[in-house]
Amino acid sequence: MSEVQRRKYSQEEKTAIFDGEFMPHIDSMYNFAFRLTFDEDDAKDLVQDTYMKAFRFINSFEQGTNAKAWLFRILKNSFINEYRKKSKQPTKVDYQEVETFYNSDDVDYQSTSDLRAESVKDMLGDEISNALNALAVDFRTVIILADLEGFTYEEMAKILDIPIGTVRSRLHRARNLLKEQLKGYAQSMGYNTNEEEED
Amino acid sequence: MEINDQPGGERKLACSDVTKCFQLLESILDGEMGETGQELMKEKLAKCQPCFEHFHLEQAIRDVLKTKCTKQPVPTELARSIRQMIQESK
Repeated sequence: MSEVQRRKYSQEEKTAIFDGEFMPHIDSMYNFAFRLTFDEDDAKDLVQDTYMKAFRFINSFEQGTNAKAWLFRILKNSFINEYRKKSKQPTKVDYQEVETFYNSDDVDYQSTSDLRAESVKDMLGDEISNALNALAVDFRTVIILADLEGFTYEEMAKILDIPIGTVRSRLHRARNLLKEQLKGYAQSMGYNTNEEEED
Repeated sequence: MEINDQPGGERKLACSDVTKCFQLLESILDGEMGETGQELMKEKLAKCQPCFEHFHLEQAIRDVLKTKCTKQPVPTELARSIRQMIQESK
């Protein structure tokens, strides 16, 4: 009922919301877009599209609610609907497929247990970035939302249209996969990943 | 029993339910468990070596992601061109 009854914003109100609540997130939006597309022009287009849509559908934005989450949701949907189709990325993995695959066995702890906090702390920004970028887009996305942008599970659930339980488990798996990547760097850099070579 | 050489160490060396414990720790680290989470975590870290190590690794990963991940500089003309497009669409 409230959906239907929400009043329309005046032209002044629209401008105020757009400038005051939407535009301040442009840095985060662009960074998210770039990490999804890996291309400056695509990222620019994606952000522009998102802001155009945000303006067009501004009446469905409820003032006082989380504008950043609302914008991220639009950006994510635009990416899936338009950019993902034309993108040349080989990682065209379906959400469900990914989930089932990684659910099937314990990619969990065993394989990553010898990565040490100390070696992670010593890594360079580029190594961390590259490790993140190497993940399939669905896993990359949850890490960006949680760790880079600080969204809560609940906000992420809304942005991604998935249940909170799925957010939690996908994030858990994403971090495990990230650890695998980081372990690769740690080893190639000669960091100590396995303190006592027992066998 | 194996020797636990951790300082102040009564920590057990094996965790009986790694997957569950680690997921719980991760939720706490993500700030999803509020005050009760903090208490629970203290208790776990004091008692369990694998949980202790996992916690520090997970925290290090969150820290480096937050602080070191390179940010892509936003093209200076982007904000202006968005405003212009909005203006034209009105």
